[in-house]
Amino acid sequence: MRLEQEPPAAPLWDSIFRRMHSVKGSAATLGFSRIVDIAHAAENLIARLKGKQAKIERAEVDLLFAATDALVKEIVKLDKKEDDERTITLVDRLAKAAQALPDPALAATRPPAPTPVMPTADPSLPRLDVSVVLSKTCAAPGARALIVQRKLKAMGTLLEMEPTPAQLMQQKGGARIAALLATLTVTDEVREALVALPEVEQVEVRIAPVARPVEEGRPLPPPPVPIISPPQASMRGHPTPPPVRGLTPPPIEPDDLRPEPTVRVRAEALDQLLDQAADVMHGIARLREAAKRLPEHVAARLEGEIDRLRRTARELHGRVMTARLTPFSSLTERLPRAVRDLAHRLEKTIELEVHGADVELDRTIIEALGDPLSHLVRNAADHGLEDPQARERAGKPGRGKLTLSARRERDKVVVEVQDDGRGMDAAALRRKAVKSAAMTQEAADALSDDAAYELAFLPGVSTRDDATEVSGRGVGLDAVQRKVESLGGKVSIRSAAGKGTTFVLELPLSVSMANLLLVQVGGELYGVPLHRVLLTTEYDLSARGGEGFEARSLVVMGELVRAYGLAKLFGLPSLAPPGPRPFVVMEVDGLRFAVSVDRLVGQEEAVLKPLFPPLDRVRGLAGVTVLGNGRPLLVLDPRGLAEMCGIHDPSKPAPAAKGAA
Amino acid sequence: MPKRVLIVDDALFMRNTLRDIFSSAGFTVAGEADDGVQAVNLFRELKPDLVTMDIVMPYKSGIDATREIVQLDPNAVVVMCSALGQESLVMEAIEAGATDFIVKPFRGEDVLAVVKKVLGE
Repeated sequence: MRLEQEPPAAPLWDSIFRRMHSVKGSAATLGFSRIVDIAHAAENLIARLKGKQAKIERAEVDLLFAATDALVKEIVKLDKKEDDERTITLVDRLAKAAQALPDPALAATRPPAPTPVMPTADPSLPRLDVSVVLSKTCAAPGARALIVQRKLKAMGTLLEMEPTPAQLMQQKGGARIAALLATLTVTDEVREALVALPEVEQVEVRIAPVARPVEEGRPLPPPPVPIISPPQASMRGHPTPPPVRGLTPPPIEPDDLRPEPTVRVRAEALDQLLDQAADVMHGIARLREAAKRLPEHVAARLEGEIDRLRRTARELHGRVMTARLTPFSSLTERLPRAVRDLAHRLEKTIELEVHGADVELDRTIIEALGDPLSHLVRNAADHGLEDPQARERAGKPGRGKLTLSARRERDKVVVEVQDDGRGMDAAALRRKAVKSAAMTQEAADALSDDAAYELAFLPGVSTRDDATEVSGRGVGLDAVQRKVESLGGKVSIRSAAGKGTTFVLELPLSVSMANLLLVQVGGELYGVPLHRVLLTTEYDLSARGGEGFEARSLVVMGELVRAYGLAKLFGLPSLAPPGPRPFVVMEVDGLRFAVSVDRLVGQEEAVLKPLFPPLDRVRGLAGVTVLGNGRPLLVLDPRGLAEMCGIHDPSKPAPAAKGAA
Repeated sequence: MPKRVLIVDDALFMRNTLRDIFSSAGFTVAGEADDGVQAVNLFRELKPDLVTMDIVMPYKSGIDATREIVQLDPNAVVVMCSALGQESLVMEAIEAGATDFIVKPFRGEDVLAVVKKVLGE
C-alpha cells in the first residue's frame, strides 16, 4: 500500500522482491509448481515495476495483491491437486502486465538471496558450533538450558539453539543441546565458561564448518578442533572468561540484539491454564467453606494458610489473564488493506488512521470484537463518508478520514470508530423508528438528537433506503450492540451533522470474572450480573396483587418501574412468605424493570463459563459458575429476562418506555 | 575469609537443613529470612556473598525478591531453592536475574557442588 502513496524507493521494492523470491524458492524445493508459477510471474512484474520511474498504477498494485492472495490460498489448500484455471489466468495477467513494462537491466542479475529468519550477527564474526550435554540427574533441564542459553548470549550472538529451554521443560536429564554462536570469544573460553556451570556433563565447541567468508585483513579463527572435556578437568576454570584478551575487540553487546525472551504458546493451552487456575480458586473457596465447620482454634490457623494460598492462586489467575492479553493491533493489522479495497469499490478515497494499536485486551474480547469492528468500519466507509464530490461541495477535503482508536481507561478499554463524514440524520432516524412501529410519533419527537442516534441500534432501523453491496441495509447495528453487551461492554454514538459520527465501544479488560449478586428463588440460588443491577429494594405487593402476580409496578427513584416475579418467569414455586419481599431493579438499554426474589444472599466474584447444551437454549440464562461449596450456579441474563417480560422484545414495540412516570 | 550466606525460606525445617549444610562446609550463615520482604531488607543490610532463595513465600515471592536484590547489586549471587515441578517458576527466576538453582529434595553435596561452582571456587 505504501507503493500507492509514496514514490516507491528501491529498498521497498527489494524487500517485496526478496519475499516473493523466497516464496518461489521454497515452493520450488518442495515441488509446488503452481505456487512457483504465480510467484515467478509476480517476481517478474515486481522487477519491472521497480525499473519503472512513473507512479505505480492502482491496477498494478491490485494485481500484486491478487497474486499474494492467490499464494496464500494455494498454500492453505496445498493438498488439493487439481489444476486451477484461475491460477493460469492470473499468471497470464501478471505476465502481460510485466510485458507492458521495459525489462530493466537488473532483471539479468541474480536476485538477492532470501534473508535468514534467525537473528543476524556481523557476518564477519566466526561462528561456533556448541554442543552441551546436561547431567542425567538434572531435575529441571529447561531451567538448566536457560542458564546455558544466558551464558552463551553473554559471550556473543546466539543464532540457534536446539532444543530450546521451553522444549526441555519437564523432560528428563541427559539432554544434548546444540547451539550456533557468533562470537569473537575463542573456543577454549566458551568451553570453560560452559563447563563451569552446574549440571553440565560434557561440552564440545568447534568452529562451525560453514562459517561465512571472513573479511580480509582480519586474523583467521583457529582451525576447527573439537574439544571434549569432562567437567572435572576444568573445575579450576573461571566461570566467566576474562573479557579482554590482547588485541581481541570486545564481544558485541548482546543486549542490543537480544529480543525480549518469549515463547510461543498455543491459545488453547492458555485457555486450559485459565480454566485450571479458575478451578484452583474454586477449590480454595471450597476449602474455606470446609474449614468453617472445624473447631475454631483449628479453623483460625487453617484459614490463615488458606488465605495465603488464595492470594497465590489469585495472582496465578491474574498472570494467566495477563498472558492472554492480545494487542489491539491484531484486529487492526488487516484493516488498511480492507479499507483500501472498500474505498476502491465505493469509489471513495479514504484515509485510515489507527491509534493505540498496542493497547491490550483479553483474547476472548479481541476475538469477539472482529465482526462488530469490521461492521462498523464498513458502515462508516459506506454510509458515514460521502463521496469525494459531495465532500468538496461541503467544503471538506475529498479524502474521507476514518480513525480507529483504542485506549485504556481505568478498568476498561474504550475503542472508537470515527469518521468525518455526513453525520447521522436524527430526523430520518425518528421517522424510521415510527415507521417500523418501534415507537409512537410523540415518543420519537420527545427524543433529543443524541437519544435519537441510539435508535440506529433498533433492529430494522436504517438511515439509508438504498441497500449497498458493501454494508447491506445497515441492518446489524443491533448485532454490534448485542455482541458488545454480551462481553459486558456498551456502545454509544456521538454524531454531528456534516462533521461525522463516532461509535464508542466501552469494553471490560477481561470477560471471565463477573461480580454477581446472589439471589434465592424457589430454593435455588441464581446469580445476577452486578453491572446490570441498579439497586435492590424491598416492597410489599401482596396487598395489591397477592401471590403469583405477573406484572405490577413499584416506584424506584421517583420513577414507575414494572415488577415481575422471578419464580413465575421460571415456573418455580415461590417459597417466600407473603409480605414485603426483596426486588432486584435492573437496567437494560435504559429500560428499568424489577424482579422479585425470595431472598438476597450476597455477592460473589466468579469465573463465568458458557452454558452447555441444552441449558444454552434456556432464555434468561447467561452462563454458569461454581460456588465455593462446589455447587453450580446459574447466572441470569438481564437482557433475556427483559425479553421474557415483554419489555424488550425486539419484534414488538417496547410497551414500557423509560420515563413513564 | 569464609563466604557469608543469607538463607531465605519460609519453612523452618528448610532453613535448619540449609544452615547445617553450610556451617559444616565452612560457610558463615550471615542471616535467615522467612519471607521475600525480609530477604530484600537483610540483603541490603548484610551484603552476603550468596543468597539461597525459596520461591513460594508469603508477602513477596522469591522471584520478586530476587529481582529487587539483583537491582540493588547486579553481581549478587542468588541460588533458587525450588521444589520438583516448579520448573517454570525457576525459569522465571532466572529471567529475573537468579544465578542458579537447586531442586528440593537435595543432598548436602548437591547444594555445595552448585554453590561452589557459582562462586567460582
